Amino acid sequence: MAKLMFTKTHEWILVDGQKGKIGLSDYAQKQLGDLVFIELPALGAKVAAGRAFMNVESVKAVSELNCPATGFVLAVNNDLEAAPEKVNQDPMGAWIVEIEFESLCDCLMSEDDYKKLIG
Amino acid sequence: MSNYLSVTDEEKKQMLESIGVKTADELFADINKDLWLRKLNMPDGKSQQEVMEIMSDLAAKNKVYRSIMRGAGAYWHYTPSAVKNLAGRSEFVTGYTPYQAELSQGVLQSIFEYQSMICQLTGMDVSNASVFSGATAAAEGILMCEGQRKKVLVPDNINPETTAVIKTYLSRKGMEIIPLPVVDGLVNYDALRGMVNQEIACIYFEQPNYFGLIEDAEEIVRIVHDCGGKVVTGCNPLSLALLKSPGECGADIAVGDAGCFGLPLSFGGPYIGFMACTAKEMRRLPGRIVGETLDKNGKRAYVLTLQAREQHIRREKASSNICTNQAHCALTAGIYLAAMGPNGLKEVSTSCTSMAHYAAEEMVKVGATLKYSEIQNGDVIKGEFFHEFVTVHKGKAAKIIERLAKDDILAGLELDKNEILWCFTEMVKKEDVDAAIEAVRRG
Amino acid sequence: METIFEKSKKGKRCSSIKPLRVPTHTIKNKYTRGDLNLPEVAEIDLVRHYTALSNRAFGVDTGFYPLGSCTMKYNPKLNDEAANLPGFTQIHPSQEVETVQGCMEAMYMLSEQLMEITGMDGISLQPSSGAHGEYLGLLLIDAYHKSRKQTGRTKILIPDSAHGTNPASAAMAGFEVVVVPSNADKGVDIDALKALVGNDTAALMLTNPTTLGLFEKNIKEIGKIVHDAGGLLYYDGANLNAIMGIARPGDMGFDVIHLNIHKTFSTPHGGGGPGSGPVGVKTALFPFLPNPSIIKTKRSEFEFKFLESSIGKIGAYYGNFGVYIKALAYILTLGGDGLKESSVMAVTNANYLKKGIADLYPTEKGRHCMHEFVVSLEDLKAKTGVSAMDIAKAMIDRGMHPPTMYFPLIVHEALMIEPTETESKDTLDNAIKVLRELYELALSNPQALKNAPATTVISRPDEALAARQPKVRG
Repeated sequence: MAKLMFTKTHEWILVDGQKGKIGLSDYAQKQLGDLVFIELPALGAKVAAGRAFMNVESVKAVSELNCPATGFVLAVNNDLEAAPEKVNQDPMGAWIVEIEFESLCDCLMSEDDYKKLIG
Repeated sequence: MSNYLSVTDEEKKQMLESIGVKTADELFADINKDLWLRKLNMPDGKSQQEVMEIMSDLAAKNKVYRSIMRGAGAYWHYTPSAVKNLAGRSEFVTGYTPYQAELSQGVLQSIFEYQSMICQLTGMDVSNASVFSGATAAAEGILMCEGQRKKVLVPDNINPETTAVIKTYLSRKGMEIIPLPVVDGLVNYDALRGMVNQEIACIYFEQPNYFGLIEDAEEIVRIVHDCGGKVVTGCNPLSLALLKSPGECGADIAVGDAGCFGLPLSFGGPYIGFMACTAKEMRRLPGRIVGETLDKNGKRAYVLTLQAREQHIRREKASSNICTNQAHCALTAGIYLAAMGPNGLKEVSTSCTSMAHYAAEEMVKVGATLKYSEIQNGDVIKGEFFHEFVTVHKGKAAKIIERLAKDDILAGLELDKNEILWCFTEMVKKEDVDAAIEAVRRG
Repeated sequence: METIFEKSKKGKRCSSIKPLRVPTHTIKNKYTRGDLNLPEVAEIDLVRHYTALSNRAFGVDTGFYPLGSCTMKYNPKLNDEAANLPGFTQIHPSQEVETVQGCMEAMYMLSEQLMEITGMDGISLQPSSGAHGEYLGLLLIDAYHKSRKQTGRTKILIPDSAHGTNPASAAMAGFEVVVVPSNADKGVDIDALKALVGNDTAALMLTNPTTLGLFEKNIKEIGKIVHDAGGLLYYDGANLNAIMGIARPGDMGFDVIHLNIHKTFSTPHGGGGPGSGPVGVKTALFPFLPNPSIIKTKRSEFEFKFLESSIGKIGAYYGNFGVYIKALAYILTLGGDGLKESSVMAVTNANYLKKGIADLYPTEKGRHCMHEFVVSLEDLKAKTGVSAMDIAKAMIDRGMHPPTMYFPLIVHEALMIEPTETESKDTLDNAIKVLRELYELALSNPQALKNAPATTVISRPDEALAARQPKVRG
């Protein structure tokens, strides 16, 4: 059974075995505003928990996404290249990358805790 | 003295009262007393008439030549009257960067059209709104190729001004310039084949090169792309009316100086650096880019776009620090290109190359040799060139230059004791070319 | 409005050149291009097109332009006429030095005057913009440290209120950026600065007046902290218009400065350039200035000087020469007394405008601003939903260019207002009236502001669409 967890920097990860799909929380997409470009990482790229691994751009801002786990990039959601607004429209549905991980970040929290964090 | 203030003494008094101070000095209370300046050590103001006299006197200390046969990066061209007149409209001249799109559609559209024209000329997908000069465009173009690969191939036949600027820009970015050998004034393709490898980020070469010669750009692109390197072509945009565009040759990035499109020589500037690239490189392109979009009512509108690349958003991670560019020069270049149209531009370009070939051939007949080219019966059998070429003389180059100066003609640039780099444009009269040929004959 | 490409019709011609009187040379096919699709229009089409575009543009000549940090003062026509003298425009940059003495003298004069105005010992005119100047200044700082075997000075300290070009220039010059937080007064936090400086500090970049439009009162102490740590003090001259003839960055302890000729010295911005960003230095940094510099000989002739220790070149030839002529004409016209009076009026105008709206638009209290001030619409937005952008757009409908929006980043819902010295009291009174009315409107009918501007050729553009599906050529 897949498990949903969050970082305090507003990424989510849906963990299923050693794989995890990563996306941006609803709170984050609202803060950023209309996303215009998502700089997807290369397949196979190594990622480290708590480290920036890609950028998303809105009209007037660029934000780094921090990886919730250590591993490598298994898949990217290519639909977002042409339609980054999908993250705005359905943040929990529009996963951005899928990774195969060795370990999860210690920093992850449950959905309830995350909701408390953002108030 | 003159000034440009618009507040009367009485009004100033009222304003200070309203602010709640007795004198304007009180407004500067935050400035530590020991920093206060007594008086600037410079003359007081002058009347506008006096200033114009001083400026005219300064201008008169320069030598204005009747005819200019020198290029080497700065080119003497005809500018249609409408170009100067339209570019001089003060709404264009006195506006800032078009941050407020609703108020600035005219400026934004003019840049969009300029970008479109640069894309047409270079055969590229995207152009930015301009950078300072061809030299900084070359440096920024190379920096676009920075990644894991850090080596940049640069042949010795490019404009030395550009070389100097590239050196400065690359020195702080950990990129290394690898000098590429030149043979007969052209890139040595065999040497290039031997030098490309997985460490080469890109090549920068010029088309035509500093000596006016036309490179086999397609061959260069093939060789460099084979090793996964990128190609940055520096081009004289006027030559692109005739020559194969960087896009047709397969280049990734095209840069150059468009000062030849309606901007005066003006002792070296302001000119305008252009930068264009393939769609793939778009997000690495520095500087402003204008894009088309729709307004709230679905009407076509233009805005500054892809701004997330830029310094005001990405700060130290921006693709460049450029903010102010050469917008008004881009406007001028755009008006010039529209005034000339494809046929007019081809005529200018043809005129330049024809004048240069005539001059080169005649100079050979009177005793000069061409350093890199051979012409037989009007046919260039070696070293095709655009509108510049290098001659070698038995006597001193300086003597030829001096002789022509007395005739009010600025001769080519002395490259060496007995070598001259000539440039001929549509401006030069045939009589003056003949005078130059005569000066060469006399040596 | 149609683009010039859409107006094009095959076979139309505008300009022509004289017929060729030598044989036509044909370049071999191997080298020649395919189609060239440029607009084909008649002269009247060209003139109407660009006249229409100019009617869709707004300059200082059109109306009030209080764009903070940009110093949109009036651009005197005399300056343009001087720069257009054939004795300047028709000079080739590679002409022999004895034939360009007028150009060199003009550059020398301008450099001397800028040194006096700023209190610096040397000037390079080469940079073509403020950011280009920053870049050069940082290269000089790097060269200076390295010449003293201080190779570990890799960090540039930059306040969080700084222009984006500061960190971007530092990165381009190969430095690491360290952000210095602001204190409650929106000045440099002295304690934080003390904790951040060290033997890896290359320099601190600072504007003074700051981007808040306030004079940094602690400037001497800040300078001492940085200097004691072995670093240098860099001055971003964007805000020099407040203090000409009153105080000088050189006297404040700055080692390297850049100026924005196109702001402070009245040369037109041209819709985004060309500008000019001269860099001034103290004597210790002389040896590193870009090549060439201009020197005056004993016989009052001018020569180019090339130094081995120079950082090299950062631009082609001598920079944006035409801009220098305009600045020189401006400085000669105003003179020392006129420059000072200009700064005094710039500050007076800003304070008068501030006074007229400060009860509605919150700004720094208890201090006079310098040449500009920043208001925050955070409260108004919370109350009415009307943002800084809405107020700015509504100003357009009332005939004026909006202030700078959303800068500096440390103030929320910021509008940065710089009226400049050349505006009249009537213009300022009108601006006060408009801003007060807009505030009332925000309370009574916020929706009216959301739809602004209504009088322009387009309504608010969809910037997200432009960036998502970039269409950047016709």
